[in-house]
Formats: sequence, C-alpha cells, structure tokens
Amino acid sequence: MPSSRTSGRTRRLAAAVSLSATVALLAGACTGTDSTGSGDDSANGKDVTITFWHGWSQDNETGAINANIASFEKLHPNIHVKVVANISDDKSEQALRAGGADAPDVVSSFTTDNVGKFCDSKVWADLTPFLKKDGIDPAATFPAPMLKYSQFQGDQCSLPLEGDAYGLYYNKTAFAAAGISAPPKTLSEFDADAVKLTIAKGDGYQQLGFMPNYHGYESAPSHYLSQWGAGYFGPDGKSNLATDPSVAAMLTWQKNLIGQLGGFDKLEKFRTSFGDEFSAKNPFETGQVAMAIDGEWRTASIADDKASLDWATAPFPVPDALASSYGRGYQTGTIVGIAQGSTKQAAAWQLVKYLTTDTDAVVSFANAIHNVPSTIAALNSPKLDADPNFKTFLDIARNPNSTTTPASINGGAYQVSLQNLGYDVESGKQTDLAAGLAATAKEIDAAVNQAK
Amino acid sequence: MTDVLSTPVSLAAPGGARSAAARPARRRAALQWVAVHSVAVVAALFFLLPFVFVFLTSVMTDRQALTSDFWPQHWEWGNYAKAWETPGFLTWWRNTLVYAGAGTVLTVVSSVPVAYALARFRFRGRNLALMAVISMMMLPPQVTVIPMYLFWAKQLHLTGTLWPLIIPMAFGDAFTIFLLRQFLLTIPKEYVEAARIDGCGEVRTLLRVILPMAKPAVAAVALFQFFYCWNDYFGPQIYSSENPGAWTLSYGLESFKSAHHTNWNLTMAATLLVMAPVIVLFFFAQKAFIEGVTLTGVKG
Amino acid sequence: MALASGFRRTSTALPVPPALRRKRRRERARTLGFLSPWLIGFGVFFVYPLLSTVYFSFMKYDGFRAPVFTGLRNWTYVFSDYPFFWEGLRNTLWLVVVMVTLRVVFGLGIGLLVTKIKSGLGFFRTAFYLPYLAPPVAATIAFAFLLNPGTGPVDHYLGKLGLPQPGWFNDPSWSKPALTMLAVWGIGDLMVIFMAALLDVPTEQYEAAELDGAGPWQRFRYVTFPNISPIVMFAVVTGVIQTMQYYTQAIVAGQVASGIIGGSGEQFEPGYPNGSTWTLPQMVYNLGFQRFDTGSACVVALILFTISMAFTSLLLRRRSGFLTED
Repeated sequence: MPSSRTSGRTRRLAAAVSLSATVALLAGACTGTDSTGSGDDSANGKDVTITFWHGWSQDNETGAINANIASFEKLHPNIHVKVVANISDDKSEQALRAGGADAPDVVSSFTTDNVGKFCDSKVWADLTPFLKKDGIDPAATFPAPMLKYSQFQGDQCSLPLEGDAYGLYYNKTAFAAAGISAPPKTLSEFDADAVKLTIAKGDGYQQLGFMPNYHGYESAPSHYLSQWGAGYFGPDGKSNLATDPSVAAMLTWQKNLIGQLGGFDKLEKFRTSFGDEFSAKNPFETGQVAMAIDGEWRTASIADDKASLDWATAPFPVPDALASSYGRGYQTGTIVGIAQGSTKQAAAWQLVKYLTTDTDAVVSFANAIHNVPSTIAALNSPKLDADPNFKTFLDIARNPNSTTTPASINGGAYQVSLQNLGYDVESGKQTDLAAGLAATAKEIDAAVNQAK
Repeated sequence: MTDVLSTPVSLAAPGGARSAAARPARRRAALQWVAVHSVAVVAALFFLLPFVFVFLTSVMTDRQALTSDFWPQHWEWGNYAKAWETPGFLTWWRNTLVYAGAGTVLTVVSSVPVAYALARFRFRGRNLALMAVISMMMLPPQVTVIPMYLFWAKQLHLTGTLWPLIIPMAFGDAFTIFLLRQFLLTIPKEYVEAARIDGCGEVRTLLRVILPMAKPAVAAVALFQFFYCWNDYFGPQIYSSENPGAWTLSYGLESFKSAHHTNWNLTMAATLLVMAPVIVLFFFAQKAFIEGVTLTGVKG
Repeated sequence: MALASGFRRTSTALPVPPALRRKRRRERARTLGFLSPWLIGFGVFFVYPLLSTVYFSFMKYDGFRAPVFTGLRNWTYVFSDYPFFWEGLRNTLWLVVVMVTLRVVFGLGIGLLVTKIKSGLGFFRTAFYLPYLAPPVAATIAFAFLLNPGTGPVDHYLGKLGLPQPGWFNDPSWSKPALTMLAVWGIGDLMVIFMAALLDVPTEQYEAAELDGAGPWQRFRYVTFPNISPIVMFAVVTGVIQTMQYYTQAIVAGQVASGIIGGSGEQFEPGYPNGSTWTLPQMVYNLGFQRFDTGSACVVALILFTISMAFTSLLLRRRSGFLTED
C-alpha cells in the first residue's frame, strides 16, 4: 500500500498540469495517511514548521531549491519549511551536536566524505525505518554508487540529493592545432596528448596540455584514484594505501607526467598565475590549459561565463592495464538527512522524501544547477537536459565502474593525509614512495582509531 | 641606564666647538630633512597604497577588476549599493553594532570598580589578583573555548545568538581593568583623601571625583573594546555563526566573496564599508586613541 | 582560591581591637563588592573552563554522546600520531620569531622616523597608524586581493619591474612571509608606543652624546636603546603572546586564497597551502569544531596555555613595573 502511494505520486506529478483538481485531492489523502514513528502531528494535518539548512549560495541554486520547497509546501499545506542557505558542514554539525530548539530538522551536505561521521555519531538519524515504512526500496530507487556514499556500515543516515561526476574537459581548437582527433582513452595516450598540447613561452607556458599538480583545482589524488578504482581501506578496515598497488601507481604516473611537462617548479609557477577556479578566469576557460579534470557543473559555468571556447567533454582516461573500464569516473554528491535530535522527524521525512525521490523535483533541480540527478528514474527522464557535453557525465554516473571515496568514521581525514603525501611526492620532498605510503597508512589508522 | 652617559657628560667638549661647526651642521640638517622625509614618503606609500588600490578596485566593473588596470574606466559607484544590498549585510551590521555597543558599555561599567579597587584599596592578595588579571589578559581565547562552547550550547542553549559574546562582558575585561588601573595609579592620592574628608563614600568618590578625572582613559578603553568587538572573528565564528541571523560583519564578510562569484570589485566595496566606521571613529577620537595605546606600553 | 585565603589571613593574623576589626570587615566587604564582577568572571571564564579543559583532555567526547574516560590516549595521539601537531608548532614558532622581530624592528624604525619628521607630522602619523585600525578580516581579504597571483596589482607591478612574482598566499614558501607583511602593515600600535617612549628620552643625554662626538648609530646604541629597552622588551613579550594566538588572518587568508570559503558549504583544508599557515589556535578549532575530537583539542589548548603562561611570567618578572604598588 505505501509503495503504491509513492509511485502514484510520480505518475500524478507527471500529469500534474492537466489534473490539478485530482492533485489537490490526492495531496490531501497523502498527508492524511502518513505517519512515521516519532514526533510531530504533521501526519494528522496539524501545522508544523521545520527548518532546513543547506549549503547552496549562488542565486540560481537557491532559486532552484526554493522552487522545489514551494512545490513541496503546496503538496503538504500543513508543513512549513524555514530554509536557511549558505551553511557549511562544520556549522550544521556544530548546531546538531549542540541541539536545542533552533537546531535544524533537515540538513544537507556537499561532502559525502562526512557521511561516516554523521552516521557513526548518530547525529544524523538512520533513515531505514522511514524508507521501510513508506515501502521505498533504496536499491531500486537510487544508483548504486550514490546509495553507497550515502550510507555507512549499513546505516542509511542520508539520501543522495543530486550528484557530481568527474570527467575530462578538452579544448577542441587546441586538439585540432596539435593534430589530435579524439580524446585520449588511456593514460599513456593522455600523457602523449598533454605533451603535444603544451606550447612553451619563455621559461613558462603559452598553453599547457594539462595541469597535473594536486593543487591544480580538481586534480586531487582522490579524483585521479577513481580511474584505478582504489578502495582506500582493506576488509579489516585498515588503510590499504601501502599494499594497494594502484595508489603507488597513481602517484608515480602523476610524478612522471610532471616530469614530461617540464618539472614541478615550472608547473607550480604557472599554476599560481591561474585565476579563481569558480570564475571566468578558470585556466581551462581562459585557454591556459588545454585539458582539465572537472565536475559536471563546469558545463554550466562555461556557458554562464560566456567563454569564447570550443570545447567538449569525455570520460577521464584510465590506466592502460584497465583500458576496458574506460567510461568510469569519480562520483560524489550532495546528501540530505534528518537530525537525530529533531522532534519533527515525520514532517522532516516528508521533505527529505520529496526532495530525494520525487522524479520531477530531482530532474528540475538537476537541470537548474546542472548536477547529475540522483534517482534511477530521474536519470532516465526525458526531461533531463540533453546537452551532449552534460550527457557525458550522466553516462559516467551510470557507469558501473565509477567509484567514490568510501565513508570513514572520521570523515575525509584519510584523504587529507593522502593529499599531504601527494604534495610531498610531487614536490620531491618525499622520494621513498614505499616509506611514505606506509607512514601515511599508519597515520590514517591512528586517526581512525582515535575517532573510535 | 643613565650611567652610560654620565662619563661622556663629564668629559664634554667646551661649547665653543659647536659654533665652528654651525654651517656644515646646517647643511647636514637640510640633508637630514630630505632623507627623513623621503623615507617617510616611501613608508607612507607602503601604508596607504593598499587602501588606494582597494578603493579604486571597488569602483571598477567586475571585468576590469580582474585586469591589472590601476584607474577605473567608469566609476561604478553602484557597487557600493550592490554590496550594501547583499542578503544579510544589514543583519551583520545590526549584529555587529549590538555586539560592539552592548559589549563596550558592559565592559566599562563592570571594569571600572575592579580597576579602582586594584589601584586604590590595600588588601592582601592584591598583587596576586593583579597577576591573575594579567594572566587572563594574556590567555589565548582558544584555550578555554571548548568548555565555554559546551557551557553556552548545552547548559544555556544560547549558541547561535549574540548572548555568548555579550554576557561575558558584564564580568569585567582583563585588558580594560589593567589599563584603567594603570591610569588610576597616576591620579594623586590627595584627591581621594579630600573627597573622603568631604564625607564621600568609596562609591561616591569613584563616581564624583575619580571618574571625571579618568575620562580620557575611560574613553580610550571604551574605544579599544568597541574595536575589539567590531573586529572579533573567533568569537562569532564559534558562538554565533551556526545561525546566519546572528552573523557579524567580520564573519559575514568572509563569506561575501563566495556569494558574489568572487567579484573582487564588490568584495572590495564591502571591505571598505566594514573598515569605514572604524576609520571615521578614529578621526573623531584620535587623541583618546593614541593616548590609550601609549598607556598600554609606557611605564607600568 | 588564592585570593580567598589571602583575605582570611588578614583577618586572623593578629588580635585586633573590635572597632578596628569592624572597620576591616567593612573594608573587606567593600573590596569584595568592587571586585565582585571580575571575581565571578575569573571563576566562570577562566578557572572553570581551564579545569574543564584538563578534564576533557583525558576523555573521549564528540560533543554528542556521553564522554568516556580514555586516560592518556589523547595526549599520546596529539604528540605521536597527529601529524599536524608538530607542523603547527613549527609554523607558530616561525611566526613568533620572524613576525615579532620584524614588527618590533619596523615599529621602532617608524617610531624613530616619526620623531624626526619636521613637516606634515600629522599626515604621516595618521598614514602610519591607519592600517592598524583595519579590521583583520577586511585587511586580510584586501591583501589576498592585492597579492593574488595573476590578477592582483602587486603581482602586476612586480612583473613590470622584472622581479619574481611569488604566489604569496598560494605558495607554501611565501604564505608566511605574506602574513608577516600583513602584520608589518598594521604596525601602528607599536609605532605609537615607541614614539611615546622615544620622546621621553631626556634630550640632555643626546646633547651630551653629541658633544662627545657620538655618531647617529652610537647615539642610538648608547642613549636611545638603553632608555627604551623596557618598552622593546614589552613589545617583544606581548608580541610573542599575540602571535601565539594568531588565528584570524591565517584562516581567512587560506580560505580566500584557496577559493574555499567557510560559509559556502565546502570543507576547508586549514593551513592552505600545504599546511604552511597552520597554527596552534587553528588546531584547537579544527580538532574541536571540525573533527569533533574534543579531547585532543583540549590537549592542544593546554599546550597553548602552557607556552603563553611561560611568556606571561617572563613579562611579569622582567617588567616589574607591571605590578607597581602606588
């Protein structure tokens, strides 16, 4: 019975324009029958005001989320949502741990790395009972990697709300000038192309093929490592950086590419001349670099910035030995959850359910902010933006080999540790890779242990 | 200290030697004038150019702000209006004024009697109390922040408001107490005794005799406290930032750059708007301010 | 506590006539009355949180679930397993040595300069003083703009002059010098203090030295410096203590330069770039309010406390003037 209601709503929304009378009727019925465990009287039609904190700050983003909230309030006339924008994870977590009447009921986070912290500390409530009660089968609703990054050790304390996928952006003009006909599919092709695309100017570059340095905006170790499908932690829960050969392979590949492109110091000097990542001065948009690894949102930014650029997107290349996995990429996304301490969990769940599972809500939001939609139904929706450069990322998101960084009890601290090692390796401060990896693994284990 | 000199003085050459050297001395003086003022001009450029650049950028278009141009093509005064209209900017202003205003009044009111007692009363443990004041003055706020945060969040549920910033000001501020005490020590005892002979109690002596004489010092510490609150970043970050309705200018300004797509021109306009009140206040209260700073360092 | 016992001793030391005892009791009540706001403040905002910090340094506490006693675990974690601790301590010490030295040297230099200026004194004094008033967050954002590689004016003019164009806040080897430059810019407070001290040096001493044929350097070495050395000492010690608390500029510079802003919902990597601006106070924030490892945060807080108090005691000893009686 509950499951039929969910799918019923999907159909209803698809037909919403012509059947507004029915909508009103069904909506009334919906709120009348809902009741999920603890808390408030929203299920009985009593007025409830819930607070929703999110991190979006740009006008187009807040506009899109507010539009979704308005549709939600129309469906649930007795639930009022107080939206607070531009809140960081640190702040919402601080408020949730402190508790009190002003703490939010529904929270979102851009950092899936923190899911482990949210779930393990029980600061975010487990959503499994709510999903069960409403007959939502997560595996049939959400793409597998997104489902994975929104849970921790079986505790589904969050649900995905739009996702991000990482791929290759390339400058078609530069490709043509260098005589390259198609985007590279393996890393050796990629390295060769990066060298071909590099044009020197004095002791710097007029155009650089690719900026491999870890501070080169999105060229972070974790984004590269997805092309190897690295797991970070072994079955015993301990860091496997020292034993997983893909980590050493990635660090070596990046260091080699740096050598081929002119060396770390020269690249670093060029990097510091880059403009802000999130501005029209982004080095890919200015033509300073011919290829870049970046997220799907860049497709919208390039259009917004009106960059005079002939560009296209493709999946980021994979190691030669794993050529068959081409098409994969790093995935992450925004997650949304309910405060453990909230006294209005039933109403909060209605909002979370609407935002994360309502196909139209997910699709329109994804189109508005150019993110990857986070339900299987939305990914297949015909209403989804059909721009081919954007579609690349939808395909990466659907690719079964795409991976994400695993949730850890202490959030993304293990990635910070790996990043620090990366900085030392690329700059030549750490030359003994094996020793560096062993020390970093030890550091990660100590930090995880400290958080237990 | 003076003995370094006592010997040279006794061996000083007769005054006649000076007049013979008068002309080269005058030339030397002229050269010195040029040298000193050249250095001063260079130094002034170092101190003032940042303001000039910030101001000129604040009236450029966002496109020009990303170039290396020095002079604005069009004077975009509208940037200030745009910066002003940033969502939340007015709230940050109001909160900052409330924090700085209430904080200053409470601090002065609660610190004056303490400073007076430490400067005038004789009691055992006075030195110890003074050392405690100095220790508190030197204490990095981060040392006590964890228990204090838990106290405000878990016991009083006041985080996300301005109260955790304002309430502590009602219990004296170590720096203010210390400065006021230093000043009160310089007021001759006779005034107090005269007041006492006139039958004034301590409270009335303080209010009628001492405070009027200590006006410059009180003005200085009030200014210091106002600026401290105005500039405070750590306090609002910890105690009030989880509620955007309780952000102050210092905290809000930092998020400004992201909210404006990193538009430097608007960011610089907002930066100047935050600096302006402090600078205006300084020009009105320059004397009290300089006196106050001098008081912090000179003659314990 | 120490205070209370001090009072008690006064009253029980000697047998005193009742009238005197009444007077003393009145005086004691009066003293207590005057001191009361601060006594409460001292207890609530100093003694209690300090003891509590010691307590939490032995507990595992995430701010949400009940605290659990874990002995020395947090201490060993911070000292031996937390890789950022020594890095932060090194950075803090770098700042203490370089920033304090340069601030005192430049503050004294500008102070000297001001005493020599004959024309336009008011203008120059204001010009030198003004940056000190700029709110730290605003000043740091302004400097991040001025020094921004690629788009900032400083970078542009350095390039025009054919000088190296460092990455400043984006380059790990230049980020601390950039912060130091920001600190030297805001030197107005030291300038005023030194200026006042320099004007207090008796002119007869200079005249005497000049008669003695002492050059400018000798005059500074044998007349000026001995006279103002207590002020220099004061500036150094308070500078060290201020630098131990160095927080706002470092965190704002890192956030603005990295393009990752605390409010935007993204996670910020403190100490950007490469941990080069990472200091002890930021560590307390990072451990306590980002990692929610309250216990380890308290360990770092206590280390910070110990170092600060060591320097404070230096101040109390070297400048006994701090504690003059009347």
